[in-house]
Amino acid sequence: MSAISTKGSGVLESAGVLMRFCGRILGEVYSLKVMKYFGEALRQAGILILSSTIVIWSLTFIIGLQCGIEGAYFNRSVGSPAYAGVFAAWCDLRELVPYSFGYMMAAKVGTGIVAELGSMRISDEIDALEVMGVPSMTFLCSTKLLAAWMVLPFVYLSGVGAGFLASYLAVVQQIGEVSSGGYQLIFWMFQNPPDLIYSVIKGMTMATAIVLVGCYYGYNASGGPVGVGTATAKSMVLNIVLVHIIGMLGTQLFWGANPNAPIGG
Amino acid sequence: MPAKNLLEEAGDMVILTGKTVVSAIKPPYPYGGEFVSQFLFALKLCWFPLLISTVAFGYGAPGLQAANFLVLFGAIDRLGGFFVLASIREFAPFVTAIVLAGVAGTAITADLGARKIREELDALQVLGVDPIKNLVVPRFLALMLVTGLFDIYALLFGIFGGIVATLVNGAPLGPFWATFFTNASTVDLWGSLLKTTLYGAIIAIVCCYKGMTASGGAEGVGRAVNQAVVIAFLGIFAFNYVFTQTLLATHPEIQVIR
Repeated sequence: MSAISTKGSGVLESAGVLMRFCGRILGEVYSLKVMKYFGEALRQAGILILSSTIVIWSLTFIIGLQCGIEGAYFNRSVGSPAYAGVFAAWCDLRELVPYSFGYMMAAKVGTGIVAELGSMRISDEIDALEVMGVPSMTFLCSTKLLAAWMVLPFVYLSGVGAGFLASYLAVVQQIGEVSSGGYQLIFWMFQNPPDLIYSVIKGMTMATAIVLVGCYYGYNASGGPVGVGTATAKSMVLNIVLVHIIGMLGTQLFWGANPNAPIGG
Repeated sequence: MPAKNLLEEAGDMVILTGKTVVSAIKPPYPYGGEFVSQFLFALKLCWFPLLISTVAFGYGAPGLQAANFLVLFGAIDRLGGFFVLASIREFAPFVTAIVLAGVAGTAITADLGARKIREELDALQVLGVDPIKNLVVPRFLALMLVTGLFDIYALLFGIFGGIVATLVNGAPLGPFWATFFTNASTVDLWGSLLKTTLYGAIIAIVCCYKGMTASGGAEGVGRAVNQAVVIAFLGIFAFNYVFTQTLLATHPEIQVIR
């Protein structure tokens, strides 16, 4: 019993440390202290665009194909193949594009940040920054968060586009039980701008959490080159759990009491 | 990354798969103990993240959204039937794979990568111990088995998420189970199990390969984990698409809603 309670307080304690760390980074971005290093933020934004966009698009594209074929087969089975667009619209926009964006962000960007910051930490580069009088947290972590906020909404929106295109290809071109026009009519009827905004909010909340978790694990890495690998693996555990919890809470919050469909009362 | 390197890596992974399968079958079998310890390691690491993830996913995506839609038609009892499609065929396998790749796969890459850069793998080879037979094969078999078994666990908790969604809508559970069991078929279940077992194989090969080829000092292991998890995710979803497409096209009987 005592072992359990000490373990529990350890978890609570590290959760508290993590929250304080995230609060500090968010505060530095919010109070615009980070603007002193705007150039670094732009550089990070550039790295984010060049290294991560293609994989994020690939994953949302594959997920879009998946939503498309499941939707086509499901609607065929209930005898309404023309309505595959309903399934595709809700599956893509509301659920699986946010999730796949979160997964790829965690895999590509989150672990990338841990590996980069962790290796800086263990080769004492972060201490060197402090010695030179550069506030390392602002320079390394807050700029990454600012860069993510500047770039990722657009990456996300184009990822939604990749998912939509893939669903269209799967339903209309591959399965081919509904005409292009018929699909488009239903597809666009069952979504509206609020849906898109909610979806972006969901994706960006995931992205923010992932960048913060990545910074925390990288900035506090220890134990040599092996420690960096372990920290990277550990950050992935937390990120995956967070992605799923944020996805569920977002659905509950935005669509829990309101299906936002153009039918029914 | 240049295209040639990409192709080379893909080829290397296929070669590693072949070598692993061959040395798993060929006697002697020295990997029993390592197999058990890797199995327990993955089990211990993954059960809790997987529990939270599947309940959250099951409640949110297919639970709330589909219930919303069905309530409009007064057909909330159909949610059970929808969960056969959503949970057994789709999300239980891929959430299991995502969690296993993100949690157990990354740990394997970090572990093997650390051994690689400490030159332990080379030392093993000098001692005449085959790293593939003694390190990769047990991980490969353990991940395949544990991913397949975790699929059932994920199914149960995913359906639990659906039950919560039904109760939140104030509907009775009887109709949920009735439509669930009339729609559930054996093909769905073995398809799901086969799919997750193969995901386990993909995760194990990618993560072992990336760990065993880690290089470049301090940043190397972290980089290896990063690349391993990206490749594993893309591989899982690409395979998922091909598998679902093939299963649906070759077994038209599972598409009929009863």
